[in-house]
Amino acid sequence: MTPILELKNISKSYPGVQALSDVSLTLAKGECLALLGENGAGKSTLIKAVCGFHHADSGEMYLDGQPYRPLDPHAAMEAGIRVVYQEFNLLGYLSVAENIFFDNLPRRGPLVDYRRLYREAQAVLDRLGLDLNPRTPVELLGVAQMQLVEIAKAISSRCRVLILDEPTATLSPKDSGRLFEIVRALKADGIGVVFISHHLKEIYEVADRLTVLRNGEVVGNRNVATTKIPEIVSMMVGRDMDAEYPFRAELQPNQKVIFEARDLRIQGNPHPISFSLREGESLGISGLVGSKRTETLRAIFGADPKDGGEVFIDGQQVDIRSPRDAVASGLSLLTEDRKNQGLILDMPVFANVTMAALDKASRHGLMRRNLETEAADKYIDELGIRTPSDKQLCRNLSGGNQQKVVVAKWLYRDARILFFDEPTRGIDVGAKYEIYLLLWRLLERGKGILVVSSDLNELMGICHRILVFSAGTIAGEVERADFSQERILSYAYQEYIK
Amino acid sequence: MTKKRLSFLLMSEAGIGLVLVLLCLIFALYEPNFRKPNNISNIFTQISINTVISVGMTFVILLGGIDLSVGSVLSLCTILAGLVISNGDLSVPMAIILAILASLAGGIVCGLFNGWVSERWRIPSFVVTLGMLNIARGSALSISNSRTIFNFPRAFNAVGTQSFFGIPLIFLIALAIVLVGHFVLSYTVFGRMIYGIGNNEEAVRLSGHNVKFYKVTAFVICGMAVGLAAILYMLRLNIASPILGVGFELNAIAAVVIGGTSMSGGKGSLIGTLIGAAIMGVLTNGLLLVGLSDFARQIVTGFIIVAAVILDTYRVKLSHMLE
Amino acid sequence: MKKTFLAVLALCMFSVGAMAGEKPVVGLVMKSLANEFFKTMEEGARKFAEEDGTFTLIPVGMNSETDIDTQVNAMENFITRGVDMIILAPADSVGLVPSVKKAVDAGILVLNFDVTLDKQALVANDLPEDFLFVGPDNEEGSERVGDFMAAKLGSGAKVIIIEGNPGADNAKQRKAGFMKTVEKYNLELLESTTAHWETEEANTVMTNLLTRFPDVQGVMCANDSMALGVVKALEAAGRINDIDVVGFDNIGACQELIRDGKMLATVDQFGPEMAANAIKVGFRIIGGEKLDGWIKTPVAVVSAQDFIRK
Repeated sequence: MTPILELKNISKSYPGVQALSDVSLTLAKGECLALLGENGAGKSTLIKAVCGFHHADSGEMYLDGQPYRPLDPHAAMEAGIRVVYQEFNLLGYLSVAENIFFDNLPRRGPLVDYRRLYREAQAVLDRLGLDLNPRTPVELLGVAQMQLVEIAKAISSRCRVLILDEPTATLSPKDSGRLFEIVRALKADGIGVVFISHHLKEIYEVADRLTVLRNGEVVGNRNVATTKIPEIVSMMVGRDMDAEYPFRAELQPNQKVIFEARDLRIQGNPHPISFSLREGESLGISGLVGSKRTETLRAIFGADPKDGGEVFIDGQQVDIRSPRDAVASGLSLLTEDRKNQGLILDMPVFANVTMAALDKASRHGLMRRNLETEAADKYIDELGIRTPSDKQLCRNLSGGNQQKVVVAKWLYRDARILFFDEPTRGIDVGAKYEIYLLLWRLLERGKGILVVSSDLNELMGICHRILVFSAGTIAGEVERADFSQERILSYAYQEYIK
Repeated sequence: MTKKRLSFLLMSEAGIGLVLVLLCLIFALYEPNFRKPNNISNIFTQISINTVISVGMTFVILLGGIDLSVGSVLSLCTILAGLVISNGDLSVPMAIILAILASLAGGIVCGLFNGWVSERWRIPSFVVTLGMLNIARGSALSISNSRTIFNFPRAFNAVGTQSFFGIPLIFLIALAIVLVGHFVLSYTVFGRMIYGIGNNEEAVRLSGHNVKFYKVTAFVICGMAVGLAAILYMLRLNIASPILGVGFELNAIAAVVIGGTSMSGGKGSLIGTLIGAAIMGVLTNGLLLVGLSDFARQIVTGFIIVAAVILDTYRVKLSHMLE
Repeated sequence: MKKTFLAVLALCMFSVGAMAGEKPVVGLVMKSLANEFFKTMEEGARKFAEEDGTFTLIPVGMNSETDIDTQVNAMENFITRGVDMIILAPADSVGLVPSVKKAVDAGILVLNFDVTLDKQALVANDLPEDFLFVGPDNEEGSERVGDFMAAKLGSGAKVIIIEGNPGADNAKQRKAGFMKTVEKYNLELLESTTAHWETEEANTVMTNLLTRFPDVQGVMCANDSMALGVVKALEAAGRINDIDVVGFDNIGACQELIRDGKMLATVDQFGPEMAANAIKVGFRIIGGEKLDGWIKTPVAVVSAQDFIRK
């Protein structure tokens, strides 16, 4: 059978970078191919070539056996290649139906034929088994529903190949399950699906085959059913990893409590929250989305106002009203949204590294460029930040390296107590592993670390103790010896099933 | 390596500087009068006031704000300084010193109001400074009883026409203000904060900095610059008037934007602003010398402002491609 | 925002007027009070109202020379309130005509001053072409001060005209007056260009024109603010003694320049009395006198001689 999409020896280079070299792959009708690789491995470049955003330097593409050379994204769309990107392209004020058919609104004369629009939108929604009113404005939908509207939009007109770029990054496990069902249905309709994800477990749910890219080259094609995760990871990273999570059992926390929150009241949450953190301890915070994990960290840090409560550092009560007070008290917060809250993307690495400790990189109010370079180079080295120089703008770094710059910022501040909010979200396996190793180096130096993560396995892999939040309360506290998914999840759901 | 140098050239102010050089060449070629040393000196004088106002405006725009009140505040500052300097009871040096202080104080108070109100109540600076535009104008009119003040000490008036080696004193003052501002933006912690906040306010706040303080201070600096510009105005024209400065904010914004500063903040420099003000001045001077009619001059100036900004987007793109 | 502010201000004024009782009420619609000229005119009218004591005066001014909306609103408010007389200095000679028509239809006596309403617009709105106008002749004023300069420079002299805002009626009239001088004395007009009534702009324009036309002998400015900038430009270029400047409006700063011999002459339209004159004419009509067309108020050339006499 002719593959629906075939790429032969695609190469593409940018000045100084060989982004793709001789990449070949095939996608059969009704097949789901997982495209895997670390950030910067060439997945995006490959997708962009297929969608006509740019042209490969060499190589051929065939769609349904016919030579295929899209001039621009529109041509690719016409040819039946549709992409759902990580970032949504929806117009919030418009209805679900208008969004689905935005590129191709049914008309009667110069006017939009709304009756037909809603009828056809309903048909698409039914096909996907979505229980959505086509008249609802998109801005009223949740993230998961928006994602599904994006898919509905993609399959609303002729779709032969559907490319899903990190579709589950923002979805809850339940919504992801729903998405997989839809992908299976689309496969049954004969659509070829390319599935890109950092969550390796997901590919077992939907993908038939997988192709791994590294440094712009194909390093392997496998059948999903016969391939194990460690094998995939070592293909991606190019080396063997001891385990998914490093845990250094010899490093145990001191008895000394360095941080304590007492009866903390977050705005809009009636329940007081109390917990403590010991020197050298890695304390995890688990909970469902909306259980006020992030809000708690932000309130302690003074980023958002709080209704009351006391905070003690080394047994001394401190009054934190702003991030400025928090930093002065030795706290630091790595926010979950590093692009909007952690980094200044259009400033160079060195400026980001020194941002939280300008006093150390300046004398009498004047910046000392040599001190900045010294600091930046130290962390580029220590954390393995991949950047041509400390003058590189953070925008040009990959997600993992950006996260390392944020970490460097707080290391340079030399904070004793670090709050990590979703430290590994959206970064690739290799970079994740390095972040974990770094965490242990920090614990070794006696820092106290609080980690919020939606990835339960990650928390169980790196924490001494886990607090489980449920609807704004601490529903349970689990010691490492007692870690189990069931136990933690039952705490997490505790307040919701009462 | 040549590519790298070229991209550096395009990224830095040199790119917009090329536009200025090109304009000067064209005028010099077609209009002999343009080349006269005396005319060059005139252009220097003519861009000084706008340059100093634009320095202040750059600080505010770098933070993603805008100050629409500079023209009115300039007028108010001349009135405050004018009332002091024309006070016969004071000795001349004393009168001059106090007048400068009065002008600066007027600018600082207006800037403080603009910054504090927009931060305290989170009102866009566009709105607050639009209010200040009226407040300052009204204050200037009522304080002066809407009369032009003109009887300044002769010693003061004489300073305005001084020049060194053909470069007018008031331009040298403006240049000094640009250089001080450039130093502050490029080499101080304060400057780093301005760029940081302009790019990503939340990230700077969460890094433990008092963002409000820096934002208010930027407006105060803008007010100070306007206060200094008011003194330059008085040196140049020897009057203080409650009706001067109408529309100056637009000239300042044009200079800043032509100079490559982004209206959304975080990107730009004072050297660019100086070049932007020079482009505006060269256009005003050159187009008149060439003998275009009023309306034609206005149209051409408008097109060149737009063209300079379009060119700016291209030079950024081009330098990205070369990287 | 500006307009709301003014509307509130106008309302306050009305309520003050309402308390005044039976006296006839006169509404005065002014142009920009930011302009010294109108400011003195308003002060003159207030002073007259105080001294006279037989009527109540409600003055409304604008924030800028071109704020037509505020004037239209003020007219409508006066009509609603039913004032006895409206004295109007229109910001736009066409735009205000419909408001005038409404007021006339409401039985209010409307007198136009300072700038004449457009004749075609008047006819189109069924109002007489020679609608009541009390005021100086801008054209005559600029012609007379122009002649004063031309007489000194002699026939064939090279001159420059610095115009007011393009499109403004008084700017057009003043330029027309200067042009009459140019023709009469056969002057060589090197350039006629605008400086938008602005001191700084006039300074820049004059400095640049001096580069282009170093042989200029006289400069005619459409107002005194611009004359200030021009004089400063000539001083800076060291040409103050061989180039003559005339202006218009007779503001204090220019009187000083004339006294010092740095400026040749300006035109006095007796601004403080202008609004008061219009009110006086209005009461004459109410008193039964039949008046229409242009009731001219005096203009005079002010030169160094006037100060010597004093």
